[in-house]
Amino acid sequence: MTGRLAPVLLLLLAFVFLAGPVPAADPVLPRPLGAVNDFAGVISVAERESMEGLAREVLQKTGTAVVVATVPTVGDWTADDYATRLYEAWGIGKRGEDKGVLILLALKERRVRIETGYGVEGILPDGVAGEILRLHVIPLLKQGDYGKGLANAVSAVSDVIARHAGVTLTGRPQMRPARPAGETPVSPFTLVLLTVVALLLLFTETGRHILAMILFDGSGRGGGIRYGGRSSGGFGGFGGGFGGFGGGMSGGGGAGGNF
Amino acid sequence: MAKKGLLIALVVAAVIAVSLYGFVKGTYNDFVTLDEKVKSSWAQVENQLQRRFDLIPNLVETVKGYAKHEREVLTEVTNARARVGGAGTIPDKIQANNELTSALSRLLVVVENYPDLKANQNFLKLQDELAGTENRIATERRRYNEAVQAYNVRVRSFPANLLAGMFGFGQATFFEAPAAARTAPQVKF
Repeated sequence: MTGRLAPVLLLLLAFVFLAGPVPAADPVLPRPLGAVNDFAGVISVAERESMEGLAREVLQKTGTAVVVATVPTVGDWTADDYATRLYEAWGIGKRGEDKGVLILLALKERRVRIETGYGVEGILPDGVAGEILRLHVIPLLKQGDYGKGLANAVSAVSDVIARHAGVTLTGRPQMRPARPAGETPVSPFTLVLLTVVALLLLFTETGRHILAMILFDGSGRGGGIRYGGRSSGGFGGFGGGFGGFGGGMSGGGGAGGNF
Repeated sequence: MAKKGLLIALVVAAVIAVSLYGFVKGTYNDFVTLDEKVKSSWAQVENQLQRRFDLIPNLVETVKGYAKHEREVLTEVTNARARVGGAGTIPDKIQANNELTSALSRLLVVVENYPDLKANQNFLKLQDELAGTENRIATERRRYNEAVQAYNVRVRSFPANLLAGMFGFGQATFFEAPAAARTAPQVKF
């Protein structure tokens, strides 16, 4: 009797587990790879590396994440709407601080947008963002020089952020201390913390909800990884070690332009 | 024997009372949480509407300097703005702001005929601010509508709807954008 019931019960449990905390799925957005996400394939290696270097330096010195994304098309959405949703899905900047900028290029729609997180709206008002696009970015994009145009956008945005934070950018950020591959130093404190987190996740009701979110929230905002993920990067669980993804939000601020 | 029957009845009543309490408590607290979410989302929408409201006098002044003949469109924008200022309830505010959105998009169309104005850096920045604000309104409107949706579904679905009536949780109003304003005005270069 119990032998026959057990699989059914398990199945029921699985349904309950799956059905409860999973939020409505957003349309599919790509996962971030790092500071530069060239999904449209329009940026050269050298340009990508220089942009990534600058973005890393800006993040280190000001705590503001500057992220570039190029996409072949934005589908049914407008490019501006896509930018806001992508910003939210990637969670650029720390949650609550929202200090981040997303520079999006939509190839098919021929539109570029500087999307500002809530925390940068004051530093980088829409008018300034629009001016950067008009003067330094769109003329180059019109000539088909996407890599240079986006690099200009990154450096102009970075200049504004650095000036406001009162730091100077060298363009050559100090590298992270290299770690031997496969060997991550873990302090006892971290170990204790991780154990406590694991216990809380497994043995409390709220914890199990969060665990379910982490495990099953594949397409939601930021994939839920930020709840407890840990990677070689900074805060946030993805982004190839860039560490600028921490659940930040944007309210749709910024400027866009066609090229 | 009668005592035993009474005892069973009491136990049953207690069980029913406890589960009823659990149901009412859970449902009521759900209402409150979702209702709060609707309210805070609406506050965000209002912030952005206010931002646009504040931006308009400057915009109108700048356009006036270059396009004196467009009095009609400018007056329309100014009047629509005044109606936004006078709107009290949420449905009124939504209505007035939708009218303002339409008036503004007409203004931006007219502006296309004035190359001098379109070369003015100050105007271009204002136009960016306006486009950015429209985009912000669209974003916060989407989040508000998502909150309203979640709340309304909870309030209307059985059996929670029985409690919603008792505790006075009505339906929240969606912010429906006029068809013309679904897309933020795009600035062409």
